[in-house]
Amino acid sequence: MGDNGLIPALAMNPAVILTVGAILGALIPNGFAAIRRPLMLVFVAMSAYQLSRLGLGEFGALSIFGEPVTMLRIDPLSRLFAVVFHIAAALNLLYAWHSKNRAQDFATLAYPAAALGGVLAGDLVTLFVWWEIAAITSVFLVWGPGTRATFLAGMRYLTIQILSGVLLLAGIVLVYRETGSLAFGEIGLRDAEGAIKLSGLVMLIAFGIKAAFPLLHNWVQDAYPKADFAGTIVLSVFTTKLAVASLARAFPGTGELVYIGAVMTIFPIFFALIENDLKKVLCYSINNQVGFMVIGIGFGTAASLNGAVGYAFTNIIFESLLFMAVGAAIFRTGTSKATELGGLYKTMPLTMIFCIIGAMSISAFPGFAGFVTKGLIIDAAGEAHAIWIWLVLLFASAGVLEHAGIKIPYFTFFAHDSGKRPKEAPPAMLMAMGTSAFLCIAIGVYPEPLYALMPYPEAVADYHPYAPYHVVEQLQLLLWAVLAFAVLILIKWYPAEVPSINLDADWLYRVPGRGLFTWAVAAVRAIWRLMWRLASTRFMRAMDRIYMMHGPEGAMARSWPTGFMALATAIILGLALIIAFMA
Amino acid sequence: MTIASQLPVIPIILPLVTAPLAVLMPAEKWGGRLPHVFTTLVAWTVFAACAAILHSVATVGPISYHLGDWAPPIGIEYRIDLANALVLTLVSGVGALVFPFAHESIRSEIDPRQVNLFYAALLICMAGLLGVTITGDAFNVFVFLEISSLSTYALVAMGANKDRRALTAAFNYLVMGTIGATFFVIGLGLLYQATGTLNMADIKIQLAGDNNRMVEAGFAFIVIGMGLKAAMFPMHLWMPNAYAYAPSVVSAFLAATATKVAVYVIIRFIYTVIGADFAFAPAAFAWLIAPLAIAGMFFASVVAIFQDDVKRMLAYSSVGQIGYMLFGVSFGTEQGLSASLVHLFNHGLMKGALFMAAACVMLRIGSHSCNAYAGLAKRMPLTAAAFIIAGLSLIGVPLTVGFISKWQLLSAAFDSGRAWAGFLIVASSFLAVIYIGRVIELMVLKEAPKDAPPIKEAPLSMLIPMGILVAANIYFGLNTELTVDLAERAAHALMGAGR
Repeated sequence: MGDNGLIPALAMNPAVILTVGAILGALIPNGFAAIRRPLMLVFVAMSAYQLSRLGLGEFGALSIFGEPVTMLRIDPLSRLFAVVFHIAAALNLLYAWHSKNRAQDFATLAYPAAALGGVLAGDLVTLFVWWEIAAITSVFLVWGPGTRATFLAGMRYLTIQILSGVLLLAGIVLVYRETGSLAFGEIGLRDAEGAIKLSGLVMLIAFGIKAAFPLLHNWVQDAYPKADFAGTIVLSVFTTKLAVASLARAFPGTGELVYIGAVMTIFPIFFALIENDLKKVLCYSINNQVGFMVIGIGFGTAASLNGAVGYAFTNIIFESLLFMAVGAAIFRTGTSKATELGGLYKTMPLTMIFCIIGAMSISAFPGFAGFVTKGLIIDAAGEAHAIWIWLVLLFASAGVLEHAGIKIPYFTFFAHDSGKRPKEAPPAMLMAMGTSAFLCIAIGVYPEPLYALMPYPEAVADYHPYAPYHVVEQLQLLLWAVLAFAVLILIKWYPAEVPSINLDADWLYRVPGRGLFTWAVAAVRAIWRLMWRLASTRFMRAMDRIYMMHGPEGAMARSWPTGFMALATAIILGLALIIAFMA
Repeated sequence: MTIASQLPVIPIILPLVTAPLAVLMPAEKWGGRLPHVFTTLVAWTVFAACAAILHSVATVGPISYHLGDWAPPIGIEYRIDLANALVLTLVSGVGALVFPFAHESIRSEIDPRQVNLFYAALLICMAGLLGVTITGDAFNVFVFLEISSLSTYALVAMGANKDRRALTAAFNYLVMGTIGATFFVIGLGLLYQATGTLNMADIKIQLAGDNNRMVEAGFAFIVIGMGLKAAMFPMHLWMPNAYAYAPSVVSAFLAATATKVAVYVIIRFIYTVIGADFAFAPAAFAWLIAPLAIAGMFFASVVAIFQDDVKRMLAYSSVGQIGYMLFGVSFGTEQGLSASLVHLFNHGLMKGALFMAAACVMLRIGSHSCNAYAGLAKRMPLTAAAFIIAGLSLIGVPLTVGFISKWQLLSAAFDSGRAWAGFLIVASSFLAVIYIGRVIELMVLKEAPKDAPPIKEAPLSMLIPMGILVAANIYFGLNTELTVDLAERAAHALMGAGR
């Protein structure tokens, strides 16, 4: 802060503007809850205006203890995420327009603000601060329903998020020791000789937790479905995408990410297919979708990075559209179980249409948003001649269609008739879903503005998503997948809707992990007690000595006679004279 | 000759001339209101003049005022640059708040027959401190120092009405203060011997490159003499008793101003009178000032932890805080100097507010021992809140001036390559957490004794000035333009002159 520019640097930061909006909103008493979200929307607009006004560049340069930090870096990569975060924040506010839950309203804006601050961070310290704020603000969404189960889930979620933050901090220290700089740029997993760097590994795990890498992913399925229907939507957007943005900046072209991403795209499909709770199905779909992005980052070519971040952009829109549609069904019926839903198309036709648009987008039907960005990633695999990855991507794409593209709308709105005849979703929800659906189609039909936002616009200059080859390939894939679904349903091989609890890798930390943890706690406690017993006597003696010296009657604090004071002064003067003469 | 051209002399001449008038006013008639209102108006005028001077210095540049139109170096010159304009504003600003604050507190603490004398002495004390700060003449510093010190001895002794120990405290302070002043004047004599002039700027010119034993001894005498006045560890022993037994208002005024002025004089003499390019200056920084500053930061803070008297605790804390200021100076860098000036100003704000809160408690509960603070948050919520905010500021919590000070000090430490210094600053801040936290715990978490009589909150005439000072703690913590920018420019000018 040597430049005294802390206040101006904060005031110009869009993320701070949103945070201020969130705090002001939270200060509005519940009696006036109706003006809370309109006020927050005004702040989103202000922040968006500030973002466009600043344009590309680095702002808010300060120095902390002599280290330069850049609180605000708007480059093509961060701008793309900033734009879509603003869209998502506005739609989320609109969706639950009539919410009266103060903590949740606060988090609905403060948490996106923190994620925004994170993607705009130009240095690692700023990133860390926003990283932790995002963890803390988002937990209010998990706690939203206010039951004991959600409280515990929130604590588990917070523990894992803070763990990620601690690892990030450790990684920052390691990176600083290695490079002598706090700038947030490419870190890479391997050094020049190809050996794995500790700093890179720690950073990758920190990012990986937030990106829900395989085996680090369970917090998503644990915490996200526990939030209420509006909270889940907000949660689904930001944390994982902040991690994707960070990975794209720090680890582009890290080969390991391709394989991690490949696993991420495949394994959730199976869990999603047998899951009965549609909210959980969508949470698995987050893993699968982020997997595509991670693969794109792993290839690290200009085109694949474009694909990764572009897919993040479109995914935020259609994934939240699907969450919103399921959320609307929950809002009207009170359940998200496939077994208890079905047949809602009769009374919620608009929601059904929006849901299908979202489903076609996530399945990458030509003409929808997913198609124009996912192709970039699949092409990158083809160009890298990574035949297995290419096949995995094709299989995963088909899997997406099965679990998200068909399962969600089919079981919610069709399938067996649950007999429920709820009202159509309220206007605010319809508006939020309609806007998302419109964006899905608009980007699908006219992707050029999105391409222009991408980090390497020149790499997409000659990419034509609607080249016949692309369209035919994709349609073949999709039609076969639809056929497979139809056949499976007809011959009743498709996993039936059964209420069940499916064990995931979280079993590892819930059962043996818990035992290990309990044991570790006991061991630490025993060691601590032993050390305390050894140290306490010595400590007490030291404290006694300090008190003897400094206590009210001690030598340091006694009221000394003037003669002594004069003597002390004379000694110091002598000392000063000696020093002055010697120098 | 317009009034504006005479502006620099107003802060000195006005209180010196009006103080005798205050003596002539009736002490007991109308509850001592007359001298109170009169001196308050004078203090406000002085503050307005100082603020105008600061504004002029900040926008136009340094002012040189020739007293009686005698040209320097023969005549006395008032020379005001940013460094002393900042200190002038602090001293007169605290004065402008302490005078209205004083009325109720003083009536309950001193002999009612002495009220008029009290205000006159306080006015003279302020005039002396302002004079020390404003003048560009080295001997004039000594004269004004004596003016302020003599009135201070009298003010401290007035506490005897409540506690007879004030008399010994004042007597000790008198002896020690006189030793300090004597050292200082011996140092001046040596410098005069070496240069044949007493004008600060002229001494600097005459001394250039002239390094001899006389200058070295003069430097040592001046730094130690002023160090004693600034309560530099271990020459602080007069201070805890003087602050503890003086009337609360006097403690508030002195804690916020007197030691700060002494620190300013040390800075002034090192950089613009003697000049830091002598070899002994860096040696003194490294081997004398820095070790004593660190010792003060730690020993005095630990003593503060164990005190059972809040005013004594605050006094020991001041010794530690003076350590921070001298530590910043000892870096010998522009940033360190600027951090010291910032802390000098900011510490005036926090200690003033803390001692004012102690004065409010003294008025209503009649004690400044820690026990009196139990359950204060319920009994006197506003006073407790003021104490807590100012205390957090002393610790250095963000959004307060204390944070800005600590931040500047830490930045200066790291930028000058003294990471260990940064560590020491943070470590000693933890001691502040303990001694302030202890009182906050008493106020907030402890219950007042069962038999404690119900008491009222402090009167508005005290709450408002205290509130303003507390608000200043937050305002200057958010808006650092005035303090940090001016301090940086002042440090730049001082260092520039020193090179």
